[in-house]
Amino acid sequence: MSKDRFSRQSFLGPDSEARIARCTVGVVGLGGGGSHIVQQLAHIGFQRFVIYDGDVVEDSNLNRLVGATSVDVAAEFTKLYVAKRMIFGLQPHAWVRGFAGRWQDNPEPLRECQIVFGCVDSYQGRHELEVSCRRYMMHYIDIGMDVHGENPPVIGGQVILSSPGGLCMRCMGFLTDEKMTEEAKRYGKAGARPQVVWANGVLASTAVGLAVDLVTGWTGRPLPNVYLSYDGNKGTVKESATLRHLNLAACPHYSEGDVGDPVPVEL
Amino acid sequence: MTVEIRMTGSQYDQIHRDLARPHPFAAERIGFVFGRTGSLANGGKLVLLTRYHSIPDEQYVEDETVGARIGGDALTWAMQAVYHGRPAREGIFHVHVHPHKGKTGMSLIDRHEIPKLMPGFQSVGREAAHGIIILSRDHGAGWVWFPSCKEPAAAHGVSVIGKPLGIFEVGVGR
Repeated sequence: MSKDRFSRQSFLGPDSEARIARCTVGVVGLGGGGSHIVQQLAHIGFQRFVIYDGDVVEDSNLNRLVGATSVDVAAEFTKLYVAKRMIFGLQPHAWVRGFAGRWQDNPEPLRECQIVFGCVDSYQGRHELEVSCRRYMMHYIDIGMDVHGENPPVIGGQVILSSPGGLCMRCMGFLTDEKMTEEAKRYGKAGARPQVVWANGVLASTAVGLAVDLVTGWTGRPLPNVYLSYDGNKGTVKESATLRHLNLAACPHYSEGDVGDPVPVEL
Repeated sequence: MTVEIRMTGSQYDQIHRDLARPHPFAAERIGFVFGRTGSLANGGKLVLLTRYHSIPDEQYVEDETVGARIGGDALTWAMQAVYHGRPAREGIFHVHVHPHKGKTGMSLIDRHEIPKLMPGFQSVGREAAHGIIILSRDHGAGWVWFPSCKEPAAAHGVSVIGKPLGIFEVGVGR
């Protein structure tokens, strides 16, 4: 790697390049959000990736799928292929384990990560990822966007950091039984949610910024609880009011001992 | 087989804080940390630490030939803890800090003394992994005795899942 490659990000610390290169990152979902994340991670210098997506690139993805082209649609390439092409184009020596399917069908490789980005549509999907990240001690960064209402439509979104020992998405009020029950009534389908490239870009950039701070510690801030709310109409990202008013010192949902492979309980 | 030891940032800080305290007569401190295993691809294993135990001052014994030696009370406590951890397959790890920066490993005395504890831990907690973790001021290394293994597996790395992330690799190829 040339010395100039990372000269503009040297403020991240003298050993930041090595720290970034040593970190294994997981990206689950390589669509509107995940494609941005993969691209940015590769630009920054991440070298070790575990990525999952079972979808093929479709015409309706081209409004937001970073790196995809019309040729990919015609060739019926997978989103995984597009992501790998992006990574290897920027980091030819990257170590990439890619799976064109659900992470739940191949969960072990994801456990090698220190940071996992969740770019999934459903609450249940987020819940399952968070459970796995807690159980195998990984930082989990969740992003998502949605559009509500009409006259005018309101673009909203979130970036959440759920770290081992810190508050979880239930603590922060983002995951609730009500939301998951409601979703389950629709047979677990989150539906074809509206997605736009600029909103995904804001959320993905915010998430990647969090990850770079986790890896390098360049801001010098202690490990925070993070729940950022995106208002796409105003173009703002602010700390969620729920988190600001939360009166919780520790997470009651995950204990330190609940780690590792589940152990059969003798009755 | 890839082996990685993982702990949270707060566990790492707690271990360093406790082991940095001066002892009335011992030159260094020893601690016990507990862990459970997780499966990785291709038979690899994670060791995920669950809690730290600080050894009380009075459970050390004076021995000028080593930096620190713990007595029968501390070992009895450890064996009992392993026994009580059996349902969760929670193993125990001997941990201490070498006061330097950079990569670290077992000293000659470490290599001679600490592995002697493992058969005892294994006899009580047969289904758990036990081992040794040695930290320097900014790095770490570990050895894990998996169930029914007489020889340890050297961890490829020790990761601290905090901020900043600590990823201490020992140069064993991935």
